Amino acid sequence: MTTSRRDFIKTASLAAGTVAVSSSLPSWMSNVDAAEAAAAASVDKNALADIALSTARKLGVSYADIRINRYRTEQVSTREKQVQNVSRSQNFGFGVRVLFKGTWGFASSREVTPEEVRRITRQAVDIARANSVYQRKRITLVPAPKVVASWKSGFEKDPFEVPIDDKIQFLLKLNERALKTSGVSFVNSSMGFVNEQKFYASTDGSRIDQYIIRANPNFTVTAVNRANGDFQSRNALGGPQGLGYEYMEKYPWMAEAEQAGEEAVAKLKAKPVEPGKYDLILHPSHLWLTIHESVGHPTELDRSLWWEADYAGTSFLTRDKIGKLQFASKMVNFVADRTQPGALATVGFDDEGVPAQRWHLIKDGLFVDWQTTRDLALMSPQKKSYGCLHADSWGSVSFPRMPNVSLQPSAGNTTMNDLVAGVEKGILIYGDGSFSIDQQRYNFQFGGQTFWEIKNGKVGGMLRDVAYQSRTTDFWNSCDGLGGRGSYEIGGSFNDGKGEPGQSNAVSHGCPVARFRNVNVLNTAAK
Amino acid sequence: MLLSEQEARALTEKLLGYVKAGDAVVNVGSEKYSHLRFAANGFTTSGARENTTVGVTVWIDKRRGSSSTNEIDDQSLRAAVDQAHDLARISPVDREYLPALGAQAYKPVGGYAEATANISLQARARAINDVIANCEKAGVIGAGFHQARGIAAASATKNGNFAYERSSLVSLSTTARTPDGGSSGYFLRNHFDVGKLDVRKVSREAIRKALESRRPRTLEPGVYPAILEPQAVADLFSNFAFSFDARSADEGRSPFSLPGGKTKVGQKIFDERLNVYSDPWHPELPGTQATQSGIPAQRVQLVRNGVLENLVYSRFWAGQKEKEPTPGPVNSIMQSSVSPVSVDDMIKSTDRGILLGRFWYVRGVDPRIALLTGLTRDGIWYIENGKIQYPVTNFRFNQSLMQLLAPGNVEMIGMPERVGSAEAQGGSSSLLPALKVKEFHFTSASEAV
Repeated sequence: MTTSRRDFIKTASLAAGTVAVSSSLPSWMSNVDAAEAAAAASVDKNALADIALSTARKLGVSYADIRINRYRTEQVSTREKQVQNVSRSQNFGFGVRVLFKGTWGFASSREVTPEEVRRITRQAVDIARANSVYQRKRITLVPAPKVVASWKSGFEKDPFEVPIDDKIQFLLKLNERALKTSGVSFVNSSMGFVNEQKFYASTDGSRIDQYIIRANPNFTVTAVNRANGDFQSRNALGGPQGLGYEYMEKYPWMAEAEQAGEEAVAKLKAKPVEPGKYDLILHPSHLWLTIHESVGHPTELDRSLWWEADYAGTSFLTRDKIGKLQFASKMVNFVADRTQPGALATVGFDDEGVPAQRWHLIKDGLFVDWQTTRDLALMSPQKKSYGCLHADSWGSVSFPRMPNVSLQPSAGNTTMNDLVAGVEKGILIYGDGSFSIDQQRYNFQFGGQTFWEIKNGKVGGMLRDVAYQSRTTDFWNSCDGLGGRGSYEIGGSFNDGKGEPGQSNAVSHGCPVARFRNVNVLNTAAK
Repeated sequence: MLLSEQEARALTEKLLGYVKAGDAVVNVGSEKYSHLRFAANGFTTSGARENTTVGVTVWIDKRRGSSSTNEIDDQSLRAAVDQAHDLARISPVDREYLPALGAQAYKPVGGYAEATANISLQARARAINDVIANCEKAGVIGAGFHQARGIAAASATKNGNFAYERSSLVSLSTTARTPDGGSSGYFLRNHFDVGKLDVRKVSREAIRKALESRRPRTLEPGVYPAILEPQAVADLFSNFAFSFDARSADEGRSPFSLPGGKTKVGQKIFDERLNVYSDPWHPELPGTQATQSGIPAQRVQLVRNGVLENLVYSRFWAGQKEKEPTPGPVNSIMQSSVSPVSVDDMIKSTDRGILLGRFWYVRGVDPRIALLTGLTRDGIWYIENGKIQYPVTNFRFNQSLMQLLAPGNVEMIGMPERVGSAEAQGGSSSLLPALKVKEFHFTSASEAV
């Protein structure tokens, strides 16, 4: 299963996003169905943008942008032999953001008409004006290039053109495979797809169209021992991707569902872990989440500036640590990348017109840079935006969100077996499970889906009730083995929450298999 | 503007007029939302959103299809209804199908305040300026979030039911941090009526907690007696009443399951003073007039004097088990059946223990015993000989909720207060008391502030 999974990921990585410079409506608009095409044709986005931006300028703003976005979603959910839900949704509207006397204002509406654009632009300025009376320190933007472009994400097969019946049959067959193993009691499976059609225009002169597809398949297999009241679940290892329906067709979902059934039943009889210190071999299907929480979030500049203090929290990475803190062992390199093919946070441009980029956050283990946006960049050493602004809807205020942050593989051909061979007493972990980390990203605890005992360089039987706790810099400095490119896979989150009001962001984290020494392991079932 | 009842009714009638299927439910929701966020003692983002969404679910020969849109011109509405039909035609038979309800009678809950839905921009800016000014005066760095929302929601069925209800919510959270980053305090409150949101109390308490938790000492992790303020209880038990699902208990995958396909109904699972219930018409915490599938909401008792009295049956599961569908829950209330004890009196009665104000990043670890992990945050103090002695640094905990409320572990119970989970940003509300417990399980130290 693991080999075919790897083959899939490698193939998928070849699909690339494309950038085409154009000022007309993008050609893929012909792909949308007739009703949407009619709706799109009735809305002249450029004319509406002219109204918003000229109205804002007249009212004295130093900057304004308008986003006119359509979001399409589709969700199919099943359990065992029945369909639970088949639904589609459409969401269309616009939001105007203005900077007035160094104070942000934003307003939005579902009614995409010239009159409403005028009213909402005035409302955005009114909000900024009311707050500007009390503003202490004015917000300043770093410049961004004027961009006129259109961009389409690198999917092969538009999932919205695949018949629903194919999707239903796919999931019911998957359930059947999971239920093959005696002892499996329940299986829930689903696939969801998102299409974002985004238009952005600003007082900088930029006009950008983007068309993005993301796929979010998932399943959970549960085995119940009714005699003793025990139950165990095994979730899918294949997570969401920035891909189209080809992800459903090429990834070995059926084989994984069958394996999940076997493993859910095996978990009921697995040996409880003995708490203590272990070396850990972490598979990419697990490690992506540890990267997300302990590397992705603390390198957000807004957290370091205490802009997220009331909710997500601040960061132990304070600005004085740039270029000084040995965050991880020297073999560890983390790259932020909004251009990565097949990844969830990959875009052509962010929500303030800054082109997607790739840069190091951790280089040779050293903490070297932040994730930045135009209103925070002046407080960073490079004083430039890396294009991390994002809003999850036309009706949400854009703010700093995480790009894809990935651990780079080692240069050689190191395999999982090579890493396991160097472990006397350890645990191999697949899949993401329970997760929790503190508000400055020091202390974390992660579970997983399956846990395998390693003794004297060999993988043995299954363990259960495993979670590990560590401190971010201790953990990453204990990394002494990284797999090569052949072990690299992309995992990710479809709904990473942050901000007030809370917003969702889809983000991927690629990584090879990796080894960590002497990590504290708990038995979560211990009373 | 929020849709009036007349406008909402016209929209649902138009949608149902397009429906050709034998059975259908349509929903209409209009929202007016705004927020103001501040951090580092300055305004950061502030915005507003107006939206109306419609949802359509149809059943054709028990085959179900759903669609939704926020474009409400006739052509788009018709397209949404057609799409639901298209999806239903290609879907397999919905084995859990039950006909939508006919006409019902609802009793309003009174959870809407016009002043909340139409909050004044200037008044809000002034109020938040006052919060920031208080922070500056106290020498701390403030961050926080103020939001106000009005909602008008309607639903109608082809079988003749129609329901319309307005609700509102306003909340304010504030975090105060000392400039050296060495201590932090937090306070959150919400209400449906902006006139009853005590802005001054929120900022005062956040600042007090930050100042009183300066120079914390480090304690060894382990099992400690603990007092949980209502906010801390909310961070563990927000929406607790919504977790008493009968189906998962019957299927053997819930903390309320027993071996052999049985459940714990009738067993004393919690301290004998504890009651958990839902009351749609509670004046401090109005619920909603309708619950699942449009059933008129009623008061629902889940736990009485520590005994698990009821689990919650969906219409489908009730049919399978020959029970009545549960008319709730629509809100979550935990209350003692004896006189409540104040937090001050809990502290005075404590020989040795920890005072907890808030938890963070609370996640499930083992659903069999409702085991959660998470961290303490924004103020935690050591108590000895009936007095707070000093602030302490944060902990990670691994704690079973079943064990926390079990007979023998709960020592004292406070007066329920309207509180919302910090992770839900004040968007959810429960009535929850402070709790004093014999054992709380801290598993490691956290240096985070």
